[in-house]
Amino acid sequence: MNFNATSGARYRKSAQKGSRKKRVSDTAAINAPAYPPAYPPSYPPPYNPFASAVPGTVPPNMSAYDDRNAVPPPYASSPDYSHMHANAPPMDQGYSIPGQFLNEPLVANVAMQYGQALVGSGRQLVDRELEKYIPVSRLKYYFAVDTRYVLKKLGLLFFPFVHSDWSVKYEQDGPVQPRYEINAPDLYIPTMAYVTYVLVAGVILGMQDRFTPEILGIQASSALAWTIFEIAVELITLYITNIQTNLKTLDLLAFGGYKYVGIIFALLLSILFHKTGYYAGLIYSSFSLAFFLIRTLKVQVLPDGSSPHHNDPYTHSSGNKRRMYLLLFVAGIQPLLMWWLSFHLISPPTPKS
Amino acid sequence: MALTLWSLYEVVLLCLNAVCILHEERFLAKIGWSSNQNIQGFGEQPSVKSQVLNLVRSIRTVMRSKYVNIVCL
Repeated sequence: MNFNATSGARYRKSAQKGSRKKRVSDTAAINAPAYPPAYPPSYPPPYNPFASAVPGTVPPNMSAYDDRNAVPPPYASSPDYSHMHANAPPMDQGYSIPGQFLNEPLVANVAMQYGQALVGSGRQLVDRELEKYIPVSRLKYYFAVDTRYVLKKLGLLFFPFVHSDWSVKYEQDGPVQPRYEINAPDLYIPTMAYVTYVLVAGVILGMQDRFTPEILGIQASSALAWTIFEIAVELITLYITNIQTNLKTLDLLAFGGYKYVGIIFALLLSILFHKTGYYAGLIYSSFSLAFFLIRTLKVQVLPDGSSPHHNDPYTHSSGNKRRMYLLLFVAGIQPLLMWWLSFHLISPPTPKS
Repeated sequence: MALTLWSLYEVVLLCLNAVCILHEERFLAKIGWSSNQNIQGFGEQPSVKSQVLNLVRSIRTVMRSKYVNIVCL
């Protein structure tokens, strides 16, 4: 196949002019093949930009390959070349292995640039499509935490009684990142606590000789199913009671995931002190979690009282009552779920022999 | 303790199916829960009952549309 109509003519014309100077030093460098010596010598030299200038170096049977294997002028058509090459590998412009052709520096550069452009636009397309289903940019906000925030938040989950300021600072359109605002919800602690809960459940069941590898998957999917169910109930309740809040679904996921920290605490106590330790830990952590949730959600769900542009007909007393019931429901379902997810893991006290 | 993701999916599917096949005129009108009888001022907050009925009606409308093939197993 001849992609350049004049290339055959050029070689034929250059082969006829015998009066060109032969540059020995150039030819030694040019004609050194880039391939291993096992390459059959009957093929024309690869990618030789000086082939037309030095006809003497053209191999003797070059004329036999004029129309079939003529190499097109490199600079003019190498962009087309890489394009064609990307579409039809089996075509041979005199090279049996298409991969060898890409070893040439100029073609390799162009091919790399084209490939990078493809990858860049492909990545943008994938990101755009993924954004429709999973809000990746929103998720990044919830994972913007640092060590100081995590430690303070864990302390707050277990001892929220002395914390006084529960309001969340806002930026232009959204809350400040959790890194800078202790009261903002995050998804790092719930995710880590969920995984740790599955692992601690495995350890406890192993200590009681009840462990099989399937129960890890069962525990994980069961806890996940309960979390999804709880969030679905909360979302439906929010819709039915028509409460206006700034809470998003991921916020609800974050608040629902904080209970796993309490579950882990109660389970660790149950290792040491069996049933009494378990129930003591459960009662204390559910009480502190309920306090924490009521205080946090009161800021987000109840009206501040400091919004002067609020119309009077929209804030009648039944709205407040609904919000209070929602808060109590959310805070009250946590201890229930904490107990339901872990009571089957505690070990009976060992009989004293 | 055996609530798995699969059973959650089954529950959701069965509830959606129940909402879908509920015939409004035959059952809800008898109780007085039909959707076209609500009298509600525009300046008030909608009551819980009207929100529930709106939710049921919208689920039924969506499920009966051409996207119902997605639900059929």
